Amino acid sequence: MRTKMITLCVNGRDHRFEAPVNRTLLQALRDDLKLTETKYGCGTGECGGCTVLMDGKDSICSCLTLAVEAEGRHITTVGGMTQDGELHPIQIAFIEEGAIQCGYCTPGMIMRTASILANNPTPSEEEIRRGLDGNLCRCTGYEKIVQAVQRASQMMDTTQIQKSGGMGQ
Amino acid sequence: MSSRVLPQFDLLTPQSIPEAVAMLAQHQGQVSVLAGGTDMLVWNYIRKVKPAYLLRLSGLDDLDNVNYIPGEGLRIGAKAKVVQLLDNPDVAEKFPALFQAAETFATPQIRNMATVMGNVLRGSPAGDCSCAILALGGQVVLQGPEGERLVDIDDFWVAYGVTERKDDELAVELRIPEPTSTTRSAFIRMTRVHEDLAKLNVAVCLEINQNTCQQVRISMGCVGPILVRLKQTEKMLVGKQISDGLLQQLAASAQEEIAPIDDQRSTEEYRRQVAGVILKRVIEKAIGAH
Ligand SMILES: Cc1cc2nc3c(=O)[nH]c(=O)nc-3n(C[C@H](O)[C@H](O)[C@H](O)COP(=O)(O)OP(=O)(O)OC[C@H]3O[C@@H](n4cnc5c(N)ncnc54)[C@H](O)[C@@H]3O)c2cc1C
Ligand code: FES
Ligand code: FES
Repeated sequence: MRTKMITLCVNGRDHRFEAPVNRTLLQALRDDLKLTETKYGCGTGECGGCTVLMDGKDSICSCLTLAVEAEGRHITTVGGMTQDGELHPIQIAFIEEGAIQCGYCTPGMIMRTASILANNPTPSEEEIRRGLDGNLCRCTGYEKIVQAVQRASQMMDTTQIQKSGGMGQ
Repeated sequence: MSSRVLPQFDLLTPQSIPEAVAMLAQHQGQVSVLAGGTDMLVWNYIRKVKPAYLLRLSGLDDLDNVNYIPGEGLRIGAKAKVVQLLDNPDVAEKFPALFQAAETFATPQIRNMATVMGNVLRGSPAGDCSCAILALGGQVVLQGPEGERLVDIDDFWVAYGVTERKDDELAVELRIPEPTSTTRSAFIRMTRVHEDLAKLNVAVCLEINQNTCQQVRISMGCVGPILVRLKQTEKMLVGKQISDGLLQQLAASAQEEIAPIDDQRSTEEYRRQVAGVILKRVIEKAIGAH
């Protein structure tokens, strides 16, 4: 089995490790780096449970991305949204709106929300619903998740998001 | 059903197009090109393919852009993602069929990952960007050991999943011709549920002058092993005034011209029934009648 030294920048920290070349980013996060907050749902790009943020803006499915393809990019997982023990406004909004039931979809939902708001700080309800197309939730029925995204958008200082060029670290 | 682990393969990371072509030639038949991976990695998971090598495009510069060049048309680099079609105002304004295909395409995450070129190279009769590109017309630029060659999109797909590209060629660019002031285009697809692949898709590109159609290209997907142009139906439209009566005749002709099958997404009978209806709708959408 071919392996390769890989350097991944996750939540502002560089991690250097050796991994088989067929490692997906999701496996690298969960199995090599033990950052298990990012979830495996379907493994084929359909559920959004594995969503992470690239360079503060673009959401991608880590299950369909090779770890080597993420070298040189800034990866943010939901663990990186919390800074110095302080929850991110998006996380607070999800809690306050009751947008979490079993919680399996939540890490992906939060990262997708971060991407929606980084690209469009004041989305309409329609834009939020379309924006969440790629994230499945088996529990909540989506209403509260949509409300949480609206609340997060109200809570956040939009100029700050734009100035920092995205979300996360 | 996906196995959680990808099969073993080795990675090739060329730093230039000539190096990529040399690697494709050296390992002919054993190497698959990896673009966004949204098809390629799924196929690996389900062991539909088991390549010894995956050739990554990450080391190649200058293939990232979607550029509109006045007087020439649209140029889409091999690494350009579907989302870039949505971010480009020229695509929305001048190539509506392609813009509309990108809008309905997959999910936001997949649109950030999937390339337009990958959609064309995959050679699926359900490809949404591919359907729009067939209607708009254009060429695929391939780089091989003997240099560059251009293949017309009309000749590019030869059988299900099979294209004109040779094993030692890399697809580098898509070219779509410049529209005129009288060009109109549109795309529609039907799915079982929103994030599913199409059970039928259709795109049309017309030259319209005072409600008279001067030229037209109609492409339809999921009605045969490859995307097809409805050439008989096109002929019925050229030189005619678009009217309700003509649209009825076109719908009937489209039903005759296609060869759909039953599969997991739909049935032959249903596809034949709705093909005419969605053809009418896409023409109306293109000319702004509704
Ligand atoms: C959840 C999900 C939803 C989807 N929804 C849609 C949808 O709505 N509509 C739709 O049309 N498709 C859909 N797809 C299919 C897929 O996303 C598209 O076909 C996509 O455009 C493929 O592009 P890619 O960059 O990911 O290609 P890859 O998967 O990397 O490659 C696809 C094929 O093209 C070849 N290839 C790619 N680039 C080159 C090149 N430069 N030179 C030579 N060969 C090349 C590869 O070798 C491979 O055979 C979906 C897929 C998933 C997982
Ligand atoms: S696990 Fe990646 S999309 Fe479902
Ligand atoms: S809260 Fe259970 S899947 Fe969304």
